[in-house]
Amino acid sequence: MGRNVMLNLRGLGQALMMLFEATLYIPLVLTKRRRPELFNQLYITGIKSLGVITVVAAFTGMILALQTGLELRRFGLQQNIGTAVAVVMLREMGPFMTALIVAASVGSAIAAQVGTMVVSEEVSALEIMSINPVRFIVLPRLVALALMMPILTIYTNILGIAGGALVGATQLQVSFQAYIDNAQLYAQNKDLYVGLLKAFVFGIVIATTACHQGFITSEGAVGVGQATRRTVIISFLTILVLGYMLTRVFYR
Amino acid sequence: MIRFENVTKRLGRRNVLDGFDLKIKAGETFVICGPSGMGKSVTLKHMVRLLTPDSGRVMVGEDCVSEATGRELERIRARFGVLFQGGALLEWLTAGENVGLPLREHTDKGEDEIEKLAREKLRLVELEDAYDKHPSDLSGGMRKRVALARAIITEPEIVLYDEPTSGLDPITSRTIDELIDSLRKQLGITSVVVTHDLHSALAIGTRIAMLNFGKAVEVSAPEQFMKSSDPVVRGFLEAQYITRRGAWEKGLKL
Repeated sequence: MGRNVMLNLRGLGQALMMLFEATLYIPLVLTKRRRPELFNQLYITGIKSLGVITVVAAFTGMILALQTGLELRRFGLQQNIGTAVAVVMLREMGPFMTALIVAASVGSAIAAQVGTMVVSEEVSALEIMSINPVRFIVLPRLVALALMMPILTIYTNILGIAGGALVGATQLQVSFQAYIDNAQLYAQNKDLYVGLLKAFVFGIVIATTACHQGFITSEGAVGVGQATRRTVIISFLTILVLGYMLTRVFYR
Repeated sequence: MIRFENVTKRLGRRNVLDGFDLKIKAGETFVICGPSGMGKSVTLKHMVRLLTPDSGRVMVGEDCVSEATGRELERIRARFGVLFQGGALLEWLTAGENVGLPLREHTDKGEDEIEKLAREKLRLVELEDAYDKHPSDLSGGMRKRVALARAIITEPEIVLYDEPTSGLDPITSRTIDELIDSLRKQLGITSVVVTHDLHSALAIGTRIAMLNFGKAVEVSAPEQFMKSSDPVVRGFLEAQYITRRGAWEKGLKL
């Protein structure tokens, strides 16, 4: 038990050190030689997860609208679903759902790739060539995830709110216009900004966890599998806990 | 050129290197062989500080690689090229980009010049056609040759080879042997080769070391190595059907 705690704390320390080192290299990310890899990672992070995000975002909004709408209808208040969906999407569900999908798809893929690189001695080869693995591997992935997560979250928010509007119009007799008006009445800019800040933090969490788990991979294919699994679990838990803490800081 | 001075390294519960001493001279092709798990790759990794000794030290010329850090370590590592067992090419780069990578990362050379130099090294390993191919499109032997081109593009003084012929067919293995030998002859590169393949060791080695339980039990030139009475050496030679009166004694070296 005690040993496990120490190992986990050491892992956390290593991951934070790696994150710190990567942030020192951030000015380098837009240099001519680094740019292609950054764009490649932006493409992988952003475009490749768009399909699944679309489905999840729309259905999240639809479920939110339906569940809250059905309850509110008992009190004749179903015209308020616009607010309910918009506020919940912007503050919480937008960044949260996006982060879960990105952690499961992009995060796990990064861990598997970096883990395979470690096992097949590619990372050792980089070290011998005096190419810093943090600069070469972590930096573009970290920047891409930190940038793409807020953008993807905006996309999730729009689709979620639209999904809610669709359910409102088709099942709860709330017109599209009434839904939008109601949403605009109570949702504030702060909700959007806090949500985007969360998305940014979640992006950093996912990239750091995935790269760190990849780097500490050992024992061949089994190790790569474990790194992938741990990345998803650690990312999920951290996203949940940090999400709660950030909400607590901004909404008292 | 490279000296191990009383090096001990413990991995898990075992001393993989145990008071290990070794001297490798400049310009030679030094072959390290021995049973699996007896410290061959560990020895190689100490030379470029992928592993650090628990005690003792590793010298490269006047530099103590086992104590160097930061820029000093980078400078020492720059003296080396390393061919890893599986090639260790970056999968998302083409063969040409892999070969040019050290130059792209560490020099101000333009893309055209880097491409020209990368093609030149690929030509040296007879793989110029593979410039635009990804490692996944190459066979095991081709990957190792591309990795060799990458290892020598910075024109290092010393090249380390970790099992350069393992998993390759005999003909490709001999091609790799010839490449290693020609690098020594043409460019004067000091080579350290870790291998199980004694045919290869006898063909290219200027000296051969046999490692067993963390110590070098035999270090000698191929002719003496063949005549060694050490049981591990004899076992290795006989397992690979090399007899004292074999072809190697008749001057069939490369």
